[in-house]
Amino acid sequence: MIRFEGVTRRYGDRAVVDRVTLDVPDGSICVLLGESGSGKSTLMRMVNRLVEPSAGRVLVNGRDVTATDPETLRRGIGYVIQSVGLFPHWRVAENVATVPRLLGWEAARIATRVDELLALVGLEPGRFRDRFPHELSGGQAQRVGLARALAADPPLLLMDEPFSALDPGTRRGLQAELRTIHAETGKTILFVTHDVEEALALADTVAVLEEGRLAARGRPAELLERGTGAPVRRLFGEESLAFHRLATLPASTIARPEDAAGDLPILPAEASLKQALMLMLSEGSDRLAVPPTGEFPGGTLYWADLVRPA
Amino acid sequence: MMALLAQVAAFLAALWAAPHLGALWHALFPALARPTWDSQSWFTLLGEHLLLSLGAALIAAAIGLGAGIFATRGAGRALRPLLDAVFALAQAIPPVAVIALALPLLGFGAAPTLLALVLYAALPVMRSAVAGLDAVPPAVLDAARGTGMGRAGILARVELPLALPVIQAGLRVAVVLSIATTAVGAVAGASCLGTPIVVGLANGNTAWVLQGALFTAWLALIADRALRLGLRHGARG
Repeated sequence: MIRFEGVTRRYGDRAVVDRVTLDVPDGSICVLLGESGSGKSTLMRMVNRLVEPSAGRVLVNGRDVTATDPETLRRGIGYVIQSVGLFPHWRVAENVATVPRLLGWEAARIATRVDELLALVGLEPGRFRDRFPHELSGGQAQRVGLARALAADPPLLLMDEPFSALDPGTRRGLQAELRTIHAETGKTILFVTHDVEEALALADTVAVLEEGRLAARGRPAELLERGTGAPVRRLFGEESLAFHRLATLPASTIARPEDAAGDLPILPAEASLKQALMLMLSEGSDRLAVPPTGEFPGGTLYWADLVRPA
Repeated sequence: MMALLAQVAAFLAALWAAPHLGALWHALFPALARPTWDSQSWFTLLGEHLLLSLGAALIAAAIGLGAGIFATRGAGRALRPLLDAVFALAQAIPPVAVIALALPLLGFGAAPTLLALVLYAALPVMRSAVAGLDAVPPAVLDAARGTGMGRAGILARVELPLALPVIQAGLRVAVVLSIATTAVGAVAGASCLGTPIVVGLANGNTAWVLQGALFTAWLALIADRALRLGLRHGARG
């Protein structure tokens, strides 16, 4: 678990991060969301001591990070950045092996681990192991960046706008994969972004930063409840707030427990109301069939019900 | 590669042949009684020339690289303009002037020549080291720090390897400058390919001047070519 306790970072007179107190529970994805200059990256970089707080402290598993020397601390925390920062003179395998090599693993163990990680991030080891970074696409490079961060199996991952520079299709693919990897590995992830849709797609909790202060925090659905504060409304856009709110609500909660007529478009139960709305619009239908899955007994989703929670 | 080997072979053959070409020198310089340089072996002069110039280049490389590394981190960054100015000034003084100024302190021989060459050759190494290290992408450095590499590790395993092509270009310039300039050391009595030039000038023997100048220039050209080739090879491997 990460805990920020009254953390402040000043540059000259300006507080870039201003008295932030925040808990990130074990195994969750916490998204730090804010515009550029809101202090979100600076806040994140204080976890692995790339930035030191001017006041307050950062605890990882109850231990003040300043108690561990920076190099040792960083080797135990995965770090992924927007510009990827692969070492251009090293092959993919060597890049992924950066931290294991620093930790002095044996060659055989490193080789096994590299292949395992490349497979995990969706790169066929045989094809990619020996490539140089300049032979990779942006999306492939960031997959390698993610594999490098996961190499020594750190319990904690820091991700600083890792997908912002990628084109939208690649970005959505990697977001989905990150969720899958998160579900498989149970890492605690602190994820910085300025992209509200990305935040909603990934977050267990969202912390909204504005001018260095923690302006709001909560699960996406809580954050976007009616009557939310000005910072959240501003960030998500006044006019599209309702639309974003739909993205935080699962379709299964408002489906009526009645058997669907046979010819309705089908919506998976785990889909969000935003996806339901998109399907209705694209199919020109005001009702959707939601088939039974797990606990959910199946039902029908009505347009009239959908517009109410929005 | 073959062209270079052929040139080296031609150069060595010419060094060997020069003392045996009395007829040629007499024909070219009919007014001179002793147009053939035979007071020292050309091979001895070549060895001494190379020892002096490569020794100077090595020292210049160490100093230039050290200064370049210092000027790109921590406290050194503030001193960068000063360092650059000092190195530029050192190079701006002509080597022959350095030798003249150093003579009273260091005496005759190799020492003042070595000093002059080091001052002359350190600037390109320093500038190339600064340029190469500056060009390392900030994201790569951020990632290196973020993965827990120490300062020394980042320098040795990330920064220097990435700056190497630029630094190599600076080293090549330093070596070629040094080889081409070593000849002036002869005025301070340092034995090298410049010795026949200086002795020839002192005795009005233009044949010796010509022979010394020819071999000095030829050596510098070969060195330039060899280093270009060698570095291109090294960068690929």
